[in-house]
Amino acid sequence: MVAGVAFVAPAQAASKDLAIGVTLDIDKLDPHTATSFSTVRMLGLTYGSLVEVGPKLDIRSGLAASWGFNADSTELRLKLRKGVKFHDGSAFDAEDVKASINRVLDTKTTAAARANIATITSVTGSGLSVLIKLSVPNAPILAALDGVNMSMLSSDDIAANKIGKTVNGTGPFKFVSWEPGQSVKLEKNATYWKAPVKLDTVTFRIIPTEASILAALNAGTIQFSVLTSPTVALQVGKNLNLYRTPGLGYVTLQLNARVAPLNKLDVRLAIQCAINRAEVVKTAASGEAKVVGPITSPAYASDPNDRPCPNVDLAKTKKYLADAGYADGLTIKAIVSPTQYATASGTAQNLKAQLAKAGINLELDILDNATYVSRWLAGDFAAAVANNGGRIDPDTMYTRYFPSTGNLNKVAGYSSATMDALFLKGKATGRAAERKVVYKQISQELENNAVWIWLFAPYEYRAAAKNVTGFIPLATGSLIELRVVDLK
Amino acid sequence: MSFGERTSRILLSTPVLRIGSIFTTLFGISIFVFLVLRVIPGDSIVGAFGIETGVLTPEQIAQLKIYYGIDKSLPMQYLSWMQSFLTGNMGYSYSTGISIASLTAKALPVTIELALIGTILGVVMGIAVGTFSARKPGSIRDFAGQLFGLMALAVPGFVLSTTIVTIMANKFHYFPNGYEFVRLWEDPWMNLQQMMFPGLVLGIAVAAPVMRTTRSALLETVDKDFVRTAIGKGVNPRKVQTRHILRNSLIPIVTMTGIQFGYLLGGAVIVENIFSLPGMGRQVLYAITRREYATVQSSVMVFAILFIAINVITDLIYRKVDPRIKK
Repeated sequence: MVAGVAFVAPAQAASKDLAIGVTLDIDKLDPHTATSFSTVRMLGLTYGSLVEVGPKLDIRSGLAASWGFNADSTELRLKLRKGVKFHDGSAFDAEDVKASINRVLDTKTTAAARANIATITSVTGSGLSVLIKLSVPNAPILAALDGVNMSMLSSDDIAANKIGKTVNGTGPFKFVSWEPGQSVKLEKNATYWKAPVKLDTVTFRIIPTEASILAALNAGTIQFSVLTSPTVALQVGKNLNLYRTPGLGYVTLQLNARVAPLNKLDVRLAIQCAINRAEVVKTAASGEAKVVGPITSPAYASDPNDRPCPNVDLAKTKKYLADAGYADGLTIKAIVSPTQYATASGTAQNLKAQLAKAGINLELDILDNATYVSRWLAGDFAAAVANNGGRIDPDTMYTRYFPSTGNLNKVAGYSSATMDALFLKGKATGRAAERKVVYKQISQELENNAVWIWLFAPYEYRAAAKNVTGFIPLATGSLIELRVVDLK
Repeated sequence: MSFGERTSRILLSTPVLRIGSIFTTLFGISIFVFLVLRVIPGDSIVGAFGIETGVLTPEQIAQLKIYYGIDKSLPMQYLSWMQSFLTGNMGYSYSTGISIASLTAKALPVTIELALIGTILGVVMGIAVGTFSARKPGSIRDFAGQLFGLMALAVPGFVLSTTIVTIMANKFHYFPNGYEFVRLWEDPWMNLQQMMFPGLVLGIAVAAPVMRTTRSALLETVDKDFVRTAIGKGVNPRKVQTRHILRNSLIPIVTMTGIQFGYLLGGAVIVENIFSLPGMGRQVLYAITRREYATVQSSVMVFAILFIAINVITDLIYRKVDPRIKK
């Protein structure tokens, strides 16, 4: 304690200032083109979208107070919230919705969410009423309107080409400054449309390693943090609050069914039967993850045991291999990027060890992140150890991968007429009960064909000092609930 | 002497050859780094958009190639960057929206300060332990000194850094690097606190080779005739140790220090990361992961220029240390 007293730390201000430790800096200020987690998290506090995802992964009203589809789900009518203002004091209305959605749809914007709302043919309206017309029946479009990539921007800012240069949103915090590599500072939006914001300022402080973030929390130099490593999360002591939430993202062994020998169903099933997913979780994630099937959203969650080999069955593996003509075993190359996420190396090494017992040599090609992504996008792999993001709606989660027209179908390495038909049916079905049936069929189709080997959903961790109260963790990874946080 | 002879004599003189070799080296480095970055898979679009690159349309990709300047031929890309570098702004960082010169102006002083602190601590520790060891070769004190050198070499910087950070934070609730980085001229006391432990970690890494070099140089010098003569003439032993032995052992120590300082400028990435210091190492690492070509190229050129400058300074110190070199 002597050292702690001897060195003088900056005095704590009387105002409610929350310092958040994050490993990565933001990389832009344009919410429509933001793709990195760090940027999305920060901009999520400054911008708002028409709908929001709640703690139970339900769709809630955001800047749209209410909505309704027509009978065949080709028109969505929205009633906007009254009295919402941008940070510059201008009022939010239908003009801003039209300009924002059209900006996302404009190919010149290179917006990340464009593919999710590509079925929108027109946006019309005035005042607080908006009508969105769709080219095909598309009930999941509502979920696609959530998130930073669908932020509502000021139509004046869009016209003046200010997006990305300034931050003028409707969110609970206003942007103050960005010191690249060091910090991003936000302050309270006193005119926020929801309950009054209690924190005066929020500072994202860039501390590149999670062990150092934990040290900063223990030393009291920061009060809140975003952690991804189970190893670090397990070291969080009783002096802090740890929020552990199963995420929507999932870790999987992607198999490229267009490449020999994985083009043989028996080989893919042999791999599925040789992997004990609980062991992967125990080894790679220190037991800190949930074994899952293809769909992770609670409303449509796949039963992880609903697959040809719910448990390891080496006898079946050997039979599948023999049937495929590989009775003596075979070698499969897998790409992996250890810097991409905390459990990547452990997962790859454990899969290699487990498959070796079944006579399958998983040869690991260890790559840096940009090289990995480049080969992954080109479909230049036989297998890939991947950590893919999840969505609350299975359509927006997988429609870019598994339908033959999906823009990441090359990466998925698999398509079929059955799959195409099921995705079309899911899109056109409005009733929740009917949609559940369709997505259960999609899940079974993916598992029965061992398209990929779905392993586990990592937890989202947030650690906070004891005086940080009221935080509600979200499986989406968003920090929007800092709007209700207080510092005692 | 004819004009031609005079010209060729000037061109072949040592300073001109030296300057020529410096520019050739820098040009070679610039080409090498430029090509390596283009050969490795991934580009600025993949670096910025990640897997979302897959949902971009061909038109969007074409527009982004123009935006990132990777639509041009390789020679044009090189010339465009070199022009920016030579005119001083060094290019443009797409992720931060500001010039690389501005970024470097903020990051470089952090790295230089860290490297200087590390080198000073390392040299002081290395010479002290090396001298301590060399006084009685083969004794327990020599063994202890060599054990220090071995451990300093064997313990990786990231292990030492993480251990220090964890112990200080958990036991003493002290981790000044958790606060925003403060520059020396803004708050010297806080800056010293933030630089102290990373400087120590780097210092220990520098101390090991300096200690070993000091020990062997001292042992070599101690047997020289002039040392025996000085002792025989009854010169004060402390004076013999400092003026005769240490002074004449300085050349290899200076060489080793120069090399280590150069490495610290480019190799403090891990320590900068663990102690959250916004230096050049972090700037380059971040730029590599995002394939921000101009940032990597310009930063490496800055490293190369500094490394060469250190070599020149080391040569000048040789002349001061050993007047015979002037001849």
